[in-house]
Amino acid sequence: MSESNLVRALLRRLHEAGYDDVPTPFRVASVDFQFTAALRGRKARALDLVLVVDTSTGDFGDRDPRSVRLRVEALSRALDVTQSRYVLTIVLAGAALAGDVDALTQVGRVLNVEAARLDDEGRPVDAEAAEALDDQIRLLLPLTLPSDEGAPEDRLDAMAALHASLSANLDAELSSAVIAASARGEGAVTGALSDILARALVLRPRT
Amino acid sequence: MLLSNIEISNFRSIKGRIAAPLDARIVLVHGENGAGKTSLLSAIELALTGRALPLERADPAYQRHLLHWSTQAGSIRLDTDDGAAFETTLSAEGARTGTKLPDAAAAFFSERCYLPQSLLGQLLHIYQSSNDELGSPLARFVGELLGLDRLDALDAGLRPLQDLRNFRKIADGYGNAESEKARSERLVADHRRNLDGIGTALTEAMAELTAARIAIGLPPAVDEGSLDRSLAELSPLPDEGDLAHLADLRRQLEAIRREAARDRDVAAPGDEPSLSAAHALALGALEEWRRKHEARVTAVRKHAEALLPSADLPASPQAFADSSLKLLRVERQQAAGRSDLAAQAIRRRSAAEAELEVARKQLEAIDGEIGRVAPTAGDLGAALAQITSFIVDEVCPVCDRDFAERESGRLADHVHRKVQTLSASARRLLDLSRTRGQQQGRIEALERELATLSSRLVDDGQASNLSRVSAALEAAVSEIEALANILAEGEVLTRSETAARRALSERQARDLARTSAMATLREFAMSANQAPPAENETVDNAVERLSLVFQARASEFERRMSARRKGVEAIRKAKAEIRRRTELDAVLTGDATIVGQNTAALRRANALRASGQTLRGLVETVRGDIIRREFNDRLNRLWRDLFIRLAPNEPFVPAFKIPEVTTHRLQPRLITEHRGGGSGGTPGAMLSAGNLNTAALTLFIALHLTVPAQRPWMILDDPVQSMDDVHIANFAALLRILAKEHGRQVIIAVHDRHLFEYLRLELSPAYPEDSLLALELSRGVHQDSLCTADRRSYREETALRVAA
Repeated sequence: MSESNLVRALLRRLHEAGYDDVPTPFRVASVDFQFTAALRGRKARALDLVLVVDTSTGDFGDRDPRSVRLRVEALSRALDVTQSRYVLTIVLAGAALAGDVDALTQVGRVLNVEAARLDDEGRPVDAEAAEALDDQIRLLLPLTLPSDEGAPEDRLDAMAALHASLSANLDAELSSAVIAASARGEGAVTGALSDILARALVLRPRT
Repeated sequence: MLLSNIEISNFRSIKGRIAAPLDARIVLVHGENGAGKTSLLSAIELALTGRALPLERADPAYQRHLLHWSTQAGSIRLDTDDGAAFETTLSAEGARTGTKLPDAAAAFFSERCYLPQSLLGQLLHIYQSSNDELGSPLARFVGELLGLDRLDALDAGLRPLQDLRNFRKIADGYGNAESEKARSERLVADHRRNLDGIGTALTEAMAELTAARIAIGLPPAVDEGSLDRSLAELSPLPDEGDLAHLADLRRQLEAIRREAARDRDVAAPGDEPSLSAAHALALGALEEWRRKHEARVTAVRKHAEALLPSADLPASPQAFADSSLKLLRVERQQAAGRSDLAAQAIRRRSAAEAELEVARKQLEAIDGEIGRVAPTAGDLGAALAQITSFIVDEVCPVCDRDFAERESGRLADHVHRKVQTLSASARRLLDLSRTRGQQQGRIEALERELATLSSRLVDDGQASNLSRVSAALEAAVSEIEALANILAEGEVLTRSETAARRALSERQARDLARTSAMATLREFAMSANQAPPAENETVDNAVERLSLVFQARASEFERRMSARRKGVEAIRKAKAEIRRRTELDAVLTGDATIVGQNTAALRRANALRASGQTLRGLVETVRGDIIRREFNDRLNRLWRDLFIRLAPNEPFVPAFKIPEVTTHRLQPRLITEHRGGGSGGTPGAMLSAGNLNTAALTLFIALHLTVPAQRPWMILDDPVQSMDDVHIANFAALLRILAKEHGRQVIIAVHDRHLFEYLRLELSPAYPEDSLLALELSRGVHQDSLCTADRRSYREETALRVAA
């Protein structure tokens, strides 16, 4: 294997996420392009072209930011020329200067993965390390929605939930009056409450 | 169920009629400001739900402004791909919607499918204000999102129940009933207290009456009904007139007593013969004591007087013992002191003589030492030291002999050692001289001390005299101490003899007056029908006896009179109390009724208050349940994922937190968490403006995704406001994922032409069934609205070739 541990980890993760290798060098508009690695998505991501650039140990001038920028710009222009709809994502594996990253942003989407905690095989050392690596290339990974299990099944609306929780020991006249008034705001609630109280407070002859 | 088509005429800023196809996964809407983008999206909401909630929140009377201002009628028709049609007609009064979504689906649409600009603004506002108040933007947002408005109204409307003061304000008549009840209760309590008082007073009066009856010998039993009869029974009898006569007799008796007392002002106990016998006894005892001890006591006295020549000792035995002992002890102590001092001086003199001897020997030794050191050693050393500079080889510069012949090292070394030895001797001589001086000083000091001691010493004769005096004093003290009891006894005997003599002489002075007083008394007793004084009775006793008889008779009269008076008074009091009791009973019944009525009214009101408070508690519980249900970990996880997609370089991610304990209405709080663990401040403090916009947008999408989708629509009105290019690119990728991987139909309006073009490229169809519609809104010649649609379809990508 000629690639670095970090690149190996990135490629493995992207393969898992449904990206296929594009053999390098590849040719666009009769021009050859060579990068540390290139990948392409399937189906909904078929227009995603991902370039992996090893800024620390890469060959083909990958360690030279200027060379990288020139090649990516050339590729972008070649894609324009062929009226391609490919969307470029450049993954910079290893440390990079903020200015160089910004310059690349003009051409395509840039994700910079500075480092990851990996074992000798290029696998994240633990779940936390895996999560940290995923976070850095999150955009390229599928979006996992929480399963609907555990989602609130019985989504009673607020008032229905309140009705359901009313118990027999509440004063029914009061409950129904203030709940009815609640649609007209807190003032109406207090008003309804006040009316009922006023009626209750009228003195009655003793029986 | 996807939206497929919409036709709008004369709705808000859309004038005339436009028809827009919507049948694509992603619909991009572009137009200049005022071209009708927001109107198009509002039309969708109105058609589906019959309301335009963002407009309604801005202006409750919004219905009157739905129709384009220059027209008379309008309509909206929205079709879906499963053949459903939603139609709404517009007039100057407002909108009338025919078919609508079911309520739950409509609520889902309004809450979680449609992000109007106002809501985005509100979301941003949430982050920027940090207060936890009930009226905060976050609280409003949560309330509106979860439909808590009515619960909040109930909560706020029922709040006055909490505090009694506020409760009184809203419960008309409560305060009045309270004060009326309190007043009447006070009255009732007063009445009861008064009745108790009356009861007690009545019981007391009856007891007094009974006591009075017993005192004058009437049967005790009496009740409230027999008061009048008792009054008659208590009228006085004629025997009460004797009192005047009795008083006269007592006055006469008193005169006799005074007469007798005058004759007897020198009074003493005992009679003459017994006093005389007592005196003889005391005298005998004293003489017996003198006979036994006189000689010894006199000897001691003489002895003491000899030892204390200057003292004047008292004659009384006891005083003599006290005074002579005190003085002798002082003398004895002084003599002992002097004797000790002399002994000490003698001891010290022999010690000092020994010390002096030793010191002189040491001085001698020092002198010997000094003698052994040549006094010129220092000078010689100095001279030799000078010679060393002339030593160049082994030949001595003084004697010219070759030192090497002696085979004891080099000459220079030899001389050097010599110099060192000599100078050491010189140093020692100095030390010795100093030591000698010190030793000489010590010897002189000892000699001085010896001289002082010698002068202080007394001769042997004086010393033995000192110890003899001391011993004599000691003996005198012991002797007096041994006689202490005898001297004390003598004192007592002397005193008692003196006292007995004085008593006898006083008694002999007293005498005859008694005989005449007794005669007078006898006469008086006869006249008062009492026994005359007996022979052996004293005048005082006889007067006392008669006086007691008269006093007892007078007391009896007075007691009976008093009992009658008290009885009559008790009857009067009892009658008055009975009258008061009857009156109070009537008043009490009236006041108790008022208390009862007011208590019942207050009880009804309090029951309602309790009910209302319970209801408010339920509202709080339901509200808390809903908030906990919605703002949960699912939402936070999803939100985090979305936020990181859009802002991969931001280390802090926003999250909702439900406080564990809350003092008032439960409210989720916004916080940030560091991606590596740990928590940050509020989003407003931690995130840039662009990331706040990202946070707001991703929160909406997370809220949309966190519940099962009732309808697969997501409608966004110009959601990218202060985002930079990186965020926009990432946002576009997210839209793609939502539309293409999660089956959402995304309708998004943008006003920025550049952005519109960018999204059109970025969101291009990626596979054969994929689709993208771009709608352009503009105005025609007569200011009519125009809508042009540009449909993009899938095209196979051929640009990429593997290099040969």
